[in-house]
Amino acid sequence: MRNSRGHGTLSATTNWAFRTFAPILLIVFLLIIFKPDASAVPSYSRQTGLPCASCHFAPPELNAFGRKFKLDGYVFTTKPEVTDEKKGHNAALQLLEAFPLSVLFDTSFTSTKAPQPGTQNGNFLFPQDAALFLAGAWSSHVGSFVQVTYDSQADHFSWDNTDIRYANNHELFGKALSYGITLNNNPTVEDLWNSTPAWGFPFTSSNVAPTPSAAALINGVLALDVAGVGGYAMWNEHLYIAGALYRSEHIGAAQPFDGVGFPINIRGVAPYWRVAWQTVSKNNSLEVGTYGIHVKSTPNAVVGLEDSYTDWAADFQYDRIIPQWKNDVLSFRGTYIRENSSLAATFAAGGAAFPRHHLNTVQGNAEYHFGTRLSGTVGLFHTDGTPDPLLFPQAAITGSANGDPRSSGYILNLSWWPVQNIDLAAQYTGYERFNGLQTNYDGAGRNASGNNSIYLLARFIF
Amino acid sequence: MCIAILGVSSFLRAQNDAEKIYKTNCVLCHAADGSGNSPSGKALGAEDLRSEVVQKKTDAELAEAIAQGKGKMPAFGKKLKPEDITKLVAYIRALPKGK
Repeated sequence: MRNSRGHGTLSATTNWAFRTFAPILLIVFLLIIFKPDASAVPSYSRQTGLPCASCHFAPPELNAFGRKFKLDGYVFTTKPEVTDEKKGHNAALQLLEAFPLSVLFDTSFTSTKAPQPGTQNGNFLFPQDAALFLAGAWSSHVGSFVQVTYDSQADHFSWDNTDIRYANNHELFGKALSYGITLNNNPTVEDLWNSTPAWGFPFTSSNVAPTPSAAALINGVLALDVAGVGGYAMWNEHLYIAGALYRSEHIGAAQPFDGVGFPINIRGVAPYWRVAWQTVSKNNSLEVGTYGIHVKSTPNAVVGLEDSYTDWAADFQYDRIIPQWKNDVLSFRGTYIRENSSLAATFAAGGAAFPRHHLNTVQGNAEYHFGTRLSGTVGLFHTDGTPDPLLFPQAAITGSANGDPRSSGYILNLSWWPVQNIDLAAQYTGYERFNGLQTNYDGAGRNASGNNSIYLLARFIF
Repeated sequence: MCIAILGVSSFLRAQNDAEKIYKTNCVLCHAADGSGNSPSGKALGAEDLRSEVVQKKTDAELAEAIAQGKGKMPAFGKKLKPEDITKLVAYIRALPKGK
């Protein structure tokens, strides 16, 4: 019996080791086989003639140059253009000779500490995602970041993050003014920093491991499910102001939609705001700001009682370049989001025990970039709010036994960029509390730590 | 008189062209005044075009740097025509006057 158990333990260990290291070996093998030519870089790089590291500390983290490139509408180029010669530099036509297309391929492996009941643990997604980007200049003042992504779990391509913008530069009160108009589908995707949700840490994550059920609307809930138009301006290279108005769009739903099956159907328009102040010197860059959104929604309908949400957020980002250490970069980022909600419609439908709720979200991380090839990040996250057993009901794995949205934990990430367009990342997510409790959080015997996960990613973008 | 007006007009047009080329291609890093004192210029360590180091270079050296690129600066030789680069060099020469 003991021997048998011992053999079983050895077998389990061998099995775990195989499951953990086999994907790593496969990724290394793929890297060797598919190692791209050094010139195989994405479309912004092809357009500007600059390496990825000119705009990024490590993608998608923008440095000051990258922020300015985005601010200017993704149009800066050093490459030949098709122009209307008759108009000289006010040409009626300015087209890139090279079509600004890029390709992304993500493959990943995820293992949670405890398997999700009745399912395989240690899952290899090949691919996790594959994406096409239309990213570059469309004309002299219009450019884009448009992403269409194949999701292997949904087994189809779907529209992903999109930011199409017009940009220009003038002077206001004797100081430089960069301004523009943005059409986008994700509040904060227009933003220039990595402290706000759309481009915030973690920059990549598993879509297999369970995640906490409570999230503020601006913290990714509305992403890709809305369409908005807005404006932005950076004055004197210090003050950034942006605003946008969003409507629900529900990609994949028959149009005009009736709202059934969608928890958020924006009534009227949802205003989004963003104000940030930055200061940049040769080796230091600091940003502090605020952002938020106000949403009125009719869940599962387009008429009737409304839920109301107001998200207020503050954020900061500090990047320190260390010349003494070969220009390594130390970054600190953080955000706090306060969501106040009045869920009249959800309460009337029996989905909440009472109308008024709030949700607090705190996220912070510190990252050290060893040159442009290696970076290590430590991130902390915490969410708490109004307990409500109807709003956060009990359910195996995803639910809460006590109706409390409180979750907290940490993320450790190590990314290695052997070349600037390949990312090999290892990430560990640990939970101290998940959906309200440390132990038996779902009422079905699962502990918060059971969702601790190891995530390995190989990203190729060219 | 007419020749003088045409001459001045031609000079102003050339200056105007050079300014547009500079604003389109150079301001991103070198700033409107050529100082490189913009956030993006600081990020890439752009040179102060008004400095003695830059102004000491010959026209041919400046044109080559623009066309071929130098350090972190990308090459503009495939985008800009030789006559545009010549105008740009002249514009850079005029920058210290506004210092």
